[in-house]
Amino acid sequence: MNMETKVGTLTLRNPMILASGILGTTFSTLQRIYEAGVGAVVTKSIGPRRRNGNPNPSVFALQEIKSIIHSIGLANPGYDIFKTDIEKLIEKGVPTIVSIFGENKDEYIEVLNGIKDLPIQAFEINLSNSITDEDGSSAEIDPVKVADIISSLRKETKIPLWAKFSPNVSDIVEVASAAIKGGCDAIVAINTIKAMVIDIQTKMPILGGKRGGLAGAAIKPIGIRYVYDLYESFGDKVPIIGVGGILKGEDIIEYLLAGATAIELGTSLGVAYPENMIRFFQMKVKKYMDEQKYSSITEITGGAHK
Amino acid sequence: MTKQTIPNTKPIIGKIIAKEKECEGTYTFLIELPIKEAKALPGQFIMLWVPGVDEFPIGIAGFEGNVLEIGVAKMGLGSEAMNNKKIGDLVGIRGFYGKSFKAPEDVNHLLIGGGFGMTPLKLLTTTLLNREKKQNIHIFEGARTKDKLMYLDWFQNLHNDNKLTFHVCTDDGSYGYKGFPTVDLEKFLQENDTPSVLYVAGPEKMMKVIFNIGKKYPNVADMQMSLADRYMRCGFGACSYCAVDPTGWRICVDGPIFNKEQLEQISDFGTYKRLESGEKLRI
Repeated sequence: MNMETKVGTLTLRNPMILASGILGTTFSTLQRIYEAGVGAVVTKSIGPRRRNGNPNPSVFALQEIKSIIHSIGLANPGYDIFKTDIEKLIEKGVPTIVSIFGENKDEYIEVLNGIKDLPIQAFEINLSNSITDEDGSSAEIDPVKVADIISSLRKETKIPLWAKFSPNVSDIVEVASAAIKGGCDAIVAINTIKAMVIDIQTKMPILGGKRGGLAGAAIKPIGIRYVYDLYESFGDKVPIIGVGGILKGEDIIEYLLAGATAIELGTSLGVAYPENMIRFFQMKVKKYMDEQKYSSITEITGGAHK
Repeated sequence: MTKQTIPNTKPIIGKIIAKEKECEGTYTFLIELPIKEAKALPGQFIMLWVPGVDEFPIGIAGFEGNVLEIGVAKMGLGSEAMNNKKIGDLVGIRGFYGKSFKAPEDVNHLLIGGGFGMTPLKLLTTTLLNREKKQNIHIFEGARTKDKLMYLDWFQNLHNDNKLTFHVCTDDGSYGYKGFPTVDLEKFLQENDTPSVLYVAGPEKMMKVIFNIGKKYPNVADMQMSLADRYMRCGFGACSYCAVDPTGWRICVDGPIFNKEQLEQISDFGTYKRLESGEKLRI
């Protein structure tokens, strides 16, 4: 059974990728997850300089909907310090995708230029959490800004660029088209959905940053819909990486059928034994392929478009 | 999701039903929780939410019925705000998180701590005292001065009742012997050939010193140390802001209690801590 897949020119040993923001603070957790069996890892989002992020609580679980809400606020040490972690990953042979963000186009370029001399597999451009200078909203909602950021980054490097979007956009096909025109190599969908939790006894928003993003099972049907829409528009022309609420092997299949060529795992690996989860995913996917008589995982992609 | 004694949830709201000054800058709180079935294991911690201020990890000193006991020392904004709370105020609790101390039978239990590291050691002491067979328990506590000794009366009374041996010291000699807990600890290890297990909680630099001492003695069967005094965000293994290198272990779920064999592999132990940005800083 062939589990290998391709995202553009990049070959992965299997379609499972660790999503940005989970277990991505240091080389050692990223290496651990790669060794547990995923095809590649995405680092946490790295910006131009140190950010302490939001006060705690910044992550907690919503058990009743098998989801987590978070508002870490892009806490990161800055690319110049995080570079040593990336170097260690490369040294250990871990296929590494570096997630980057900026508050404006120039910051994106600065971070990319600070890292691009390292032989990483791709940059994942976090367009959802970035705050554009003028109005406080994310770059991703504006196709003109998206095209401008991606095309500017394209001029700086040949390393694959993956553009990541959240559902907090009015039309994902429109912004994804802008990213493709700008020269991106893959679309990653979806990032977390804007969310909030208020405690009714203390009458306070629980997150230190008050507002946050929702991840986990609650957002899976939304992710499936966006991946389906993207595949319907772009087909095999641009690889789609599905992410959002994959908590079991069947969810991976569902994303592939919707049109993804690879998927990212976040919430499901944020547990005490992520190694076990990865094993369960592998077993389930192989079992499905066996039952459905697929010889290669790439045959599943787009299967729901009939 | 991870297996926890309380399902991993958003903060559960508890009410402060008692507050007492424990020692200088440190208060004991009893918090009534709307749960009954949970069991706290020694060494586990909670994420304590002081609404509108901060949330931080803190060791569990006791849990009986539905009443949680914690000891809070003033360390930052969050703990300061907590220490200003009054009886009747509401706080949030997530947990109980992490792996516990694993105390075997038929060994000398040597509990060594300083500062609010005494919190998990108090629960461990209670657990050991509740065992059917009488255990050989030695507490080694040190602080700068008498005013800073945590649970002084509690341990001293147990010592006076012959339930355990309390080796207490202060830097200035204001209570117990003058010096560090390591003095009596080494003396004990030199004089006793029977196997001992060390359980340590306190400042990491102190723990590293004890770790190096423990390694010298073949009668030390194991050393278990709590790294709970580190920056954490999620508490359940997702964010990795508490991860240590080069093992990729997360303090919150792979620890906070690590044994001798594990501590040997953590190069960050006693040398580097992680800040809220994820950046490492030399301790």
